[in-house]
Amino acid sequence: MREETSAPSVLRPPSTPGSPRVLDFLLENGLYVSTLILIAVFSVSIPVFFTLENAVNILSSAALKGIIAAGFTITLIAGLIDTSILGMAALSTVLTGVLFQQLGWPLWTTMLGVAAAALVMASLNDALVVRAKINSFVATTATSGVFLGVCLALTNGQTITITRPELQTVLLARPLGLPVAIWLMFAVYGAGYVLLNHTRLGSHLYATGANHNAARVNGVPVNRVTHIAFALCALAAALGTVLATARAGSSLLFGTQFLTFDLTEIFTAVLLGGASLFGGSGKIERNLVAVLFLTILANGLQLLQTGTGIWLVLKGAAFVAAIILDVVRQRRQ
Amino acid sequence: MLESSNLEHANRFGATSETILETRNLSKSFGAVQAVRNVNWSVKRGEVCALLGDNGAGKSTLIKLITGAILPSSGEIWVRGSRARITGPSDALNLGIAPVYQDLALIEGRNVIQNMFLGSELTHGPLNLFLDHARMALETTRVLGEIRSRIPSARAVVRKLSGGQRQAVAIARTLIRGGQIIIMDEPTAALGVEQTREVLQLIENLRTQGRTVVLITHNMSQVFQVADQVSVMFRGEMIGTKRVKDTNQEEVISMIVGAKREAMGAA
Ligand SMILES: Nc1ncnc2c1ncn2[C@@H]1O[C@H](COP(=O)(O)OP(=O)(O)OP(=O)(O)O)[C@@H](O)[C@H]1O
Ligand SMILES: [Mg+2]
Repeated sequence: MREETSAPSVLRPPSTPGSPRVLDFLLENGLYVSTLILIAVFSVSIPVFFTLENAVNILSSAALKGIIAAGFTITLIAGLIDTSILGMAALSTVLTGVLFQQLGWPLWTTMLGVAAAALVMASLNDALVVRAKINSFVATTATSGVFLGVCLALTNGQTITITRPELQTVLLARPLGLPVAIWLMFAVYGAGYVLLNHTRLGSHLYATGANHNAARVNGVPVNRVTHIAFALCALAAALGTVLATARAGSSLLFGTQFLTFDLTEIFTAVLLGGASLFGGSGKIERNLVAVLFLTILANGLQLLQTGTGIWLVLKGAAFVAAIILDVVRQRRQ
Repeated sequence: MLESSNLEHANRFGATSETILETRNLSKSFGAVQAVRNVNWSVKRGEVCALLGDNGAGKSTLIKLITGAILPSSGEIWVRGSRARITGPSDALNLGIAPVYQDLALIEGRNVIQNMFLGSELTHGPLNLFLDHARMALETTRVLGEIRSRIPSARAVVRKLSGGQRQAVAIARTLIRGGQIIIMDEPTAALGVEQTREVLQLIENLRTQGRTVVLITHNMSQVFQVADQVSVMFRGEMIGTKRVKDTNQEEVISMIVGAKREAMGAA
């Protein structure tokens, strides 16, 4: 028989006319429209919602998850699902507590130490995926468990309260009126935007995630790209977690429970933002809007004092919607 | 169009131009299977050279050896009169040997420019850190124009292109990378009539540009439409090469049939 050929779409018309236009528009702009509607509804129904103070509040909460989600988006674009952000974040917060509080390291060496640990964890993920050729979702779910285990071994399940002040004076400072975390979030998304759209590495990340083999035969160093994607994701998870630790004033691990974010929230934000579980697509600026959407929703519900139940229901619904969106988008192609 | 442009090219039915690519006693075994045996074969600059043969004859293996996708068991490859050391695809590319992959190796969700420069992006700015979008767009338009392809826009996403247009992108990409010897393994296998015609036209245009093309095909009539030389492989061996102008379909078919009969007689 003839060698396998991926049959090009000879029979498919170049564009699909008619009613699917509405669907296309929604897939393209639904997120922006929903976010604007949400802001409008809360602004009308909640007096304190549309204030500068609340906006800063929303952005601060968004910053911690946003920074982590940005890194996660980059791995998804590269065709990797890194669920170990949970374990990496846990180890980052514990290490911050151990190095900074218990060992009395200066803030900057603490942060370098946490970053170095993140890179080591990323290398482990990378080795399992690239060398051992294990599916990234499976590999990182396994390593996440290992990282959480290391946390437990280091702390015996005790939460470390941070009493030395520098962490907070530096990371909770407000240069030009905005908290450091917000500046960092914009810096991370800005850098991510430039990286993905204006550098070779960005092109290579998309290509590797979309079609690993095509990327490889065209000379894209797919293994190096995978390594860098894992590293960036780990660094983002570490940075977001150190900021969250500063905000909370303690390491955020209670026993084996890690309490600042859960994976479904990150998944929801990233998929709503248009990245795909199938790899190779997604725009990081959309991801930022999706993070803001979820944070605004949480904030508004909190101000309305609806209780956690409603929030959990809506969050779950958003997760389901995000997955459906991803599948619909794939089918449309 | 195909017929009229034949007249413009002395090479088509013309006689001697220099040999650009040559194999000498080239062999490749996969365990017990001798996929390519002692192949001596040469291709002239600026010509379209067709490679025919049954399934499993060793055509794909032969061109994989030339493009550096696999390494030979023994034998030599010569390019432009000197012995070539091809240890991988990048060596071949540096010699101007560029394959159009059978599955085209395009990224569906990316646009024509991004596909064109995949793996060889142009950069500028401090430390050459940033993509030079403007120059890549310009080059893409230039090369697509050169092979006279009809792609609506360089920013069109590949997913929305027809089969023939995709072929054009994959072919144009080899030119962007400095390809002088373009190698195509059954480019029309998955295409309809109209798309096939487009691809043959592209091959014709490549020759107009002075490029050399190696074309693997199962379609005899294509050989007589576009090729200058036709070579036939059978069970790993090169059993004959003819100038297209000096032969006809019957003779080529009888070469194949003759080889088969001989093989059966020997068995
Ligand atoms: N990687 C490999 N490992 C083992 N055997 C191989 C490999 N590649 C090719 N072969 C064998 O080598 C022989 C020649 O194969 P090749 O793909 O070169 O044939 P072909 O002429 O391109 O055939 P087709 O027209 O079907 O594409 C076949 O017997 C094939 O099974
Ligand atoms: Mg073949």
